[in-house]
Amino acid sequence: MSIDLPALIVSAVLLAGLYATMSYGLALIYGVMKIVNLAHAGVMMWGAYAAFLLVARLGVNPFLAPLLIVPLFFGLGILLQRFVVRHVMSAPPISSLLLLFGTWLIMQNIAYLLFSGDTRTITTPYTLLTLKVAGFAISVNRLLVFVVGVVALVSLQRFLGHTYLGKAIRATAQDSAASQLVGINTDRIMEIAFGIGTALAALAGTLMALIFAFDPDFGRSHLLKSFCIVVLGGLESFVGVALGALVLALAEALSILAVMPALQDFISFAILVIVLIVMPGGLMGLIGKLKPKGVLR
Amino acid sequence: MVKSWRFYRFMIGLALYALLAPVLAACAPAAPAAPTEIVLGAALPLTGGQAREGGYFKKGYELAIKEINDAGGIMVKEYNKKIPVKLIIYDDKSDNTTSVQLYEKLVTEDKVHALLGGYGTPLISAHTVVPEKYQVPYVNGGGATGEIYARNMKYIFGLLASIEKLAHTLMDWMAEQQDAGKLKKPVTIAVVGENSSHGKEFRKGVLDKAAAAPDRFKVVMDEPFELNLKDADPLLQKLKAANADVFLADARIADYTTIHRRYTELGLSHLIVSYGPRGTEKAARDALGAAADYIVSCNWWHPDIPTPEAKAFAEKYQKAYNERPEWFPALAYETARVMAKAIENAGTLDKTKVRDALAKTDLKPSLVVGGRVWFEANGQINNDYVMMQNLPGGKVALIYPKSVATADAIVPIPKK
Repeated sequence: MSIDLPALIVSAVLLAGLYATMSYGLALIYGVMKIVNLAHAGVMMWGAYAAFLLVARLGVNPFLAPLLIVPLFFGLGILLQRFVVRHVMSAPPISSLLLLFGTWLIMQNIAYLLFSGDTRTITTPYTLLTLKVAGFAISVNRLLVFVVGVVALVSLQRFLGHTYLGKAIRATAQDSAASQLVGINTDRIMEIAFGIGTALAALAGTLMALIFAFDPDFGRSHLLKSFCIVVLGGLESFVGVALGALVLALAEALSILAVMPALQDFISFAILVIVLIVMPGGLMGLIGKLKPKGVLR
Repeated sequence: MVKSWRFYRFMIGLALYALLAPVLAACAPAAPAAPTEIVLGAALPLTGGQAREGGYFKKGYELAIKEINDAGGIMVKEYNKKIPVKLIIYDDKSDNTTSVQLYEKLVTEDKVHALLGGYGTPLISAHTVVPEKYQVPYVNGGGATGEIYARNMKYIFGLLASIEKLAHTLMDWMAEQQDAGKLKKPVTIAVVGENSSHGKEFRKGVLDKAAAAPDRFKVVMDEPFELNLKDADPLLQKLKAANADVFLADARIADYTTIHRRYTELGLSHLIVSYGPRGTEKAARDALGAAADYIVSCNWWHPDIPTPEAKAFAEKYQKAYNERPEWFPALAYETARVMAKAIENAGTLDKTKVRDALAKTDLKPSLVVGGRVWFEANGQINNDYVMMQNLPGGKVALIYPKSVATADAIVPIPKK
């Protein structure tokens, strides 16, 4: 039995785009607010249903749907931070964990009430269409999802690196107290960061809904995968997240050469454990360590 | 006119009888007082992940109980009368722990005479310990996995044939296609199954049949895959490399959709493709479009089964709920009927005797495939499955067994 290795790698790279998109929001919120957003899974699920309503019920083009979904969830994220999360910011971490876990459960139950437990799918004009590129059959849907993921990364990097607001978010992420001293309204920055993180999670949900079937429990296993990616990437770096996503997608895909496909999740969590023990700073931490020694330039 | 002594003796006797009869009757041993109702209970997933299926089961149970009560109730010989049925249904929220607690409540607080089952292997595996512990007769129509019945429980019965049998049915049908010259012999098979007891039993069924007929079947790939698959490519690359003639899978609707979308995008094709019990679901057909055409599936019931019982149920259900029944309410309806029949056959509400009557069930005609309900020693039915094939235009044909087939199977699948 000979596996088509190049096809497997191409597919893993495309999947990495999706993995990265679903992890940016988690990394941003952790970076700025130092809380683990367990409601991330619920937002991804709601993003999927928002896309379902727009595409299946209102006939909106699936790749234009994010233009409506992203601002909507940005606003929802701000409201969530202002009226819910802010109250536990100074409490021990377990408080925010429980609060956001409860928020996720509420979101899930609302979805069950509104949409029932039925499995839903979104069929687009590109579903099942493939492009033949250099002998590889590439799914148009997956390619477009990858492109949106890359555009999100580039936009995020430019926003954080080249705008006042972006720099303020980075400053707050590095040192909240010092940021306040130089006049940054960190409360406002945290709201905006939570809004952006929520919007990114909803964007990921929208994109995932174009590929996978979903129900109100959707997002649970993706959340765990996002944790692995964020830890692998180094917790606070978007480039690290993208790298982490690529490494994880490749590891999972190539693992079938050695283990059965049912152990793909095992691979993810084995990587999580190893990274936490061996290089707690993740890939970006490792790169940072290697740079001064001249190993990496 | 002078009355004879005999006449006076008769009149005195009559007067004494009239005087003493009520006293004698009161002193005679009392016949057991009949309960005003027979209480049946069930916990179903009415909200949460399995809400859709649980809702169908509720409709099936309620339809059956309404029919029984409209006919006066269940005849119980011990009381020599028909007793109406009260059905208590709770919502287990698709949660195993809640399901167990609710079955405990049904037995200990609601004092049910018998229990009807929930839906789905995880819930049924969890809550069946309750009827067994309290020795309350229990029948379900929503749990097929053999692990439910492999625990040597005496009070648990089920109307769904095993998943291994599902796989056997697929293999028997393929053998028939070989004999008809439509499928080559031996045929190479790639089998994959979700990493659960459901998937394991499916794969075992395929492997067992292949081992028993090496001249017909050769398994070239056998793999489990993770539930809620996020990336089907590694699995499908292995499938491609296996170069099998036939692709058999056991998957839930979400995974079936994910896998078959990628299968189609990767341009894979096989002589036969099956996802076990999946295939005809509207959600999946909408998601897959023409890619779902010619997929064969194997299931416990279908409204097109050409028997008077299946037809009658489909009409009754349509009239009651204004929708075409899937297999869920049909099996729920028959489950309630089986329990009612067992109580009637036992002639008592004694739980052990009802259990014994359940073990001896031989209900026919029945709407299940094969037209008869009976239970093996482990408590599980062992009737036939019905096989279907998706046809273009959203149509479905019943293709196996011959007794219910409405069309010949299209084998091999036409290349798209």
